[in-house]
Amino acid sequence: MAGPVGEAEAGSVRIRVDGVEYPVREDLTLLQALDGLGLLNVPEGVEIPHYCWHPHLAIDGSCRLCQVELTRPGDEQARLAIACDAKVCEGLVVDTKSEAVARAREGVMELLLANHPLDCPICDQAGECRLQDHAFDYGVAASRMREPRRAARKRVDLGPTVALDQERCILCRRCVRFCREVTGTGELGVVERGDRSAIETFPGQALDNPYSMNVADICPVGALTTKDFRFKARVWSLDEVDGICTACARGCNVSIGVARGRVQRYVARRNDAVNGSWICDEGRLSYQQIDAPDRLSSCLARDETGELCPVSLDEAVREAARRLRPLLDERGPGVVAGVASGHASNEDVRAFKTFLDVLDVDTIGLALREGAADELLVSAEKAANAAGARAVGFGPIEGLLERLRGGGLDALLVLGHDLLEGDVESPALDAAELEGLDTVIVFDTHRSPLERVAHLVFPVRHAAEKEGSYTNLDGVVQRPSRAVRPAPGVRDERDFLDRIGVALGLAGYGMDRTA
Amino acid sequence: MQKAPFTTGYLTEHCGDDAFGTLKGYRARGGYETARRTLKKGSPEEVIATVRDSGLQGRGGAGFGTGQKWSFMPADDGSAPRYLVCNADESEPGSFKDRLLLERAPHLLIEGILLSAFAIGAEKTFLYVRGEYGESIRSLTRALEEARRGKVLGPRALGSRFAHEVVLVRGAGAYICGEETALLESLEGRKGMPRRKPPYPAEHGAFGRPTTVNNVETLCHVPHIVGKGADWFRSFGTDASPGNTLFGVSGQVVRPGLYELPLGTPLDEIVFEHAGGVPDGRKIKAVVPGGLSMAALPAGQLDVPMADEFLRERQTALGTGGIIVMDDRTCMVRAACVITHFFRDESCGQCTQCREGTGWLNRIVRRIERGGGRFEDLALLEDLCGKMEGQTICAFADAAWPVQGLLRHFRQDFQSHVNQRRCPYPESFAL
Amino acid sequence: MVIDDALRARIESEMRSFPEPRGALLGALHRVQEELGCVSSEAARELSEIFAVFPVEVLELVRFYNFFSEEPRGRHQVTVCTNLPCALVGANDLLCGIEGHLGIAVGETTPDGRIHLGREECLGACANGPMMRIGGDYHEDLDLAAACAVLDALE
Repeated sequence: MAGPVGEAEAGSVRIRVDGVEYPVREDLTLLQALDGLGLLNVPEGVEIPHYCWHPHLAIDGSCRLCQVELTRPGDEQARLAIACDAKVCEGLVVDTKSEAVARAREGVMELLLANHPLDCPICDQAGECRLQDHAFDYGVAASRMREPRRAARKRVDLGPTVALDQERCILCRRCVRFCREVTGTGELGVVERGDRSAIETFPGQALDNPYSMNVADICPVGALTTKDFRFKARVWSLDEVDGICTACARGCNVSIGVARGRVQRYVARRNDAVNGSWICDEGRLSYQQIDAPDRLSSCLARDETGELCPVSLDEAVREAARRLRPLLDERGPGVVAGVASGHASNEDVRAFKTFLDVLDVDTIGLALREGAADELLVSAEKAANAAGARAVGFGPIEGLLERLRGGGLDALLVLGHDLLEGDVESPALDAAELEGLDTVIVFDTHRSPLERVAHLVFPVRHAAEKEGSYTNLDGVVQRPSRAVRPAPGVRDERDFLDRIGVALGLAGYGMDRTA
Repeated sequence: MQKAPFTTGYLTEHCGDDAFGTLKGYRARGGYETARRTLKKGSPEEVIATVRDSGLQGRGGAGFGTGQKWSFMPADDGSAPRYLVCNADESEPGSFKDRLLLERAPHLLIEGILLSAFAIGAEKTFLYVRGEYGESIRSLTRALEEARRGKVLGPRALGSRFAHEVVLVRGAGAYICGEETALLESLEGRKGMPRRKPPYPAEHGAFGRPTTVNNVETLCHVPHIVGKGADWFRSFGTDASPGNTLFGVSGQVVRPGLYELPLGTPLDEIVFEHAGGVPDGRKIKAVVPGGLSMAALPAGQLDVPMADEFLRERQTALGTGGIIVMDDRTCMVRAACVITHFFRDESCGQCTQCREGTGWLNRIVRRIERGGGRFEDLALLEDLCGKMEGQTICAFADAAWPVQGLLRHFRQDFQSHVNQRRCPYPESFAL
Repeated sequence: MVIDDALRARIESEMRSFPEPRGALLGALHRVQEELGCVSSEAARELSEIFAVFPVEVLELVRFYNFFSEEPRGRHQVTVCTNLPCALVGANDLLCGIEGHLGIAVGETTPDGRIHLGREECLGACANGPMMRIGGDYHEDLDLAAACAVLDALE
């Protein structure tokens, strides 16, 4: 994912942008250099609007919006040039605010809008449309376009995930480059020439790859939209919260769109150290699990007939203590095991480990579902914090399973339900193998086959519902913000463990303790 | 077959002679002697120096110094293949001179290719011919076959130690491929979209290799210059624009056709004396001096020598030397319709200003032509032209140029369309 | 397979003239267009396999260059230049007359599939307009009668 920015230091040159001097790497273009300094189009930074340029795609140079005035040493006068393709050099002087620059931007904007349908009121992109933004900032007040605008295909079904509106397209070709350079699938092209140019797929070939929806993220206008989000909410009604995707160990950064207290979408959020600008489709849609019908919303315990029924928090905590205390006292901690999950945050796995340590339980392991990986982002480990769980001491689960199968265990404390999903090395554990156990206590976000054997179930929060940190496969620790409130009764693992610790009378546990 | 020029000079003196197109006929008229001598005994440096001293300017439209262009090629360390590309994608409206040379003087072109390739150290030439030029393709195919059989080309070209091969490539119908980097894209099997520069072709050209792209007529001058010397060449034309060139005269004139004349020959002399002026006792209204991309001049400004140093003063340029004559029945708004239609049709669609601007200009002038114009349209046209000009990857968006020219010299035509809400030229050519 | 072994062999041999095989792609498209009458999506897909490019890249070429079409366009491609030098000497009147003679409009093909009529930008025959191009052959200095005679003689 390494883009042009963020690689090893090379030679450095000084450039002067709007009167301010910056040292930059000499092998970069002006936009890359400013982007690398974190100055591009941020408050107090340098404003250079652009459409076709993208930090993680090849330079195209066609939209012409990023024109600035450049003076290189020895030049008699400043020249307009596109910043995306202008190599920096020692003594380069850049003016982004001159009259010529303003005129050039206004010209590009007026021409881009000439054929644009201006159907913003019914466009899904409205509110996050860079055409709308820049038209406001640099455009002409009223359109002088009185000719019939170009008619093209609307609502083109590009594939299972994305729809195209050719009329809105400004032909920046970011989507075309994405499919050729990033996914290598090459589904999209530009056919015809001149003002008949249009994005197309090959007849019978859909835009269908594991990263397809990124084209909607990078589309600066409303030409490409995800079917998932179409017409779901107006963008300006969304609160955007910085989150991470929890579908695998990559921990791709997302912007979580929230409306009416619910997560409406994930959009890839740039982080050059983790995911560049991209996210896989599976991860993007994993937000749907947050409000899935099978979310647990209450503590569950077995009633007299053996059915799992909702109980109060206090009842559940008391029941946990009532079951564990005699086991520990009579048979000792050796018959108890703890199964951690890669889904729990660092704070929660740490609290779990501490809890098990205080109990002197040393039969522990990490349950992790593994699946297909790819060369781009998707990791084989299908949980966001496996590295964090390992870091606090949860290792391979084989020993634990061996002990279980040998009949040496009577009780199991389980985070998540990946225990039943198996991993590459050990085949999936069947819930039936847990049937003989005296006590199974589960802390999970969703319902699962583990319920069949569970005596107690505690409903825990999804990463989007809590404060916590996660360590990705490369050891990058990320602390996403809480995006939505969980249902009442849904708590952090560490919170439940604290209460159980108190109920068990464990040393160091008290209501004032914070994990 | 393209008709022989009405006036000839060193370049086209044998073009009326069918035998000149054959290897035997070309040799009988002294052909390939310069190349044979040079490839055996000369040096690339000498050839470059002679061509540079001759002041030969490219005849493809931009008029860049040929010797200078060659000198941009990086030093030949023998490590990588280098290419010459012959731009035979003549498609500037009003230009039909390269077609003559391709059809009637293919061996002159091959000799020019050999000398130029020798100069820049190219092992291969890609000869990119306009796809529509069927006769040219047939003529070149025959001539190349003869040249290979006659060992003019091959591992020991003309008996020298210089190896050279020419690959004929057929264009497929896109004006933009005449732009040299669009041509390179097309040559590589891609859409003809001009490349961002730098890097220039001399550094990163065909298939990523050092490449020089030269026009057909340019290459045809080379054997004459190398054979007879820079001073001889400078005895033709002006100081700043030496040599003869092939002017094409078309439109409403008595003798439309090709004229080989020295650069600097006055435009009115070409139009009136050589081409016989406009027929039927009519008057001239406008003349495009250098192909459709160049701004037209009004009747009163034809006393200009046909060389860039003079034409630039009148805000136009020599271009490809395609002279289009319009008589006084001609509606210049209709001319604008044709011009903008052409640029709209042929814009590659890459850069915003050109893609959107050419179509917008065309829609406005069509509306004016039909009587739907408003006075503010004239300012709008001028403003749009200003927003297109000089801001794109290639010079194509300078399609604004000819429109600006019409607005500069024939504004009255646009105004009377707006006033009368119809075209005031009933006898003008049909759209 | 719409590209047969013989055609495929010729395409592959032309690749050798270029430092990169893709240089032969335009030539291959010419051959397919000429021999099969169009570059159908099947042919385009096969070319994309021969040249190891994405199928949509072949489609891009087919729709960028005038010479290629996705559908057959008639046995004879007849085009009239209507750019300025030819327009000044009556090219559009000629085109109108041809439309009347053939009973079709520009962009259409005669019902018998014999002639597809089009207009074209400058063909480099500026001194000898009006003119029309039929495949690789130019017919210059035309009036309507001469043009119709040429058209009527087409098979």
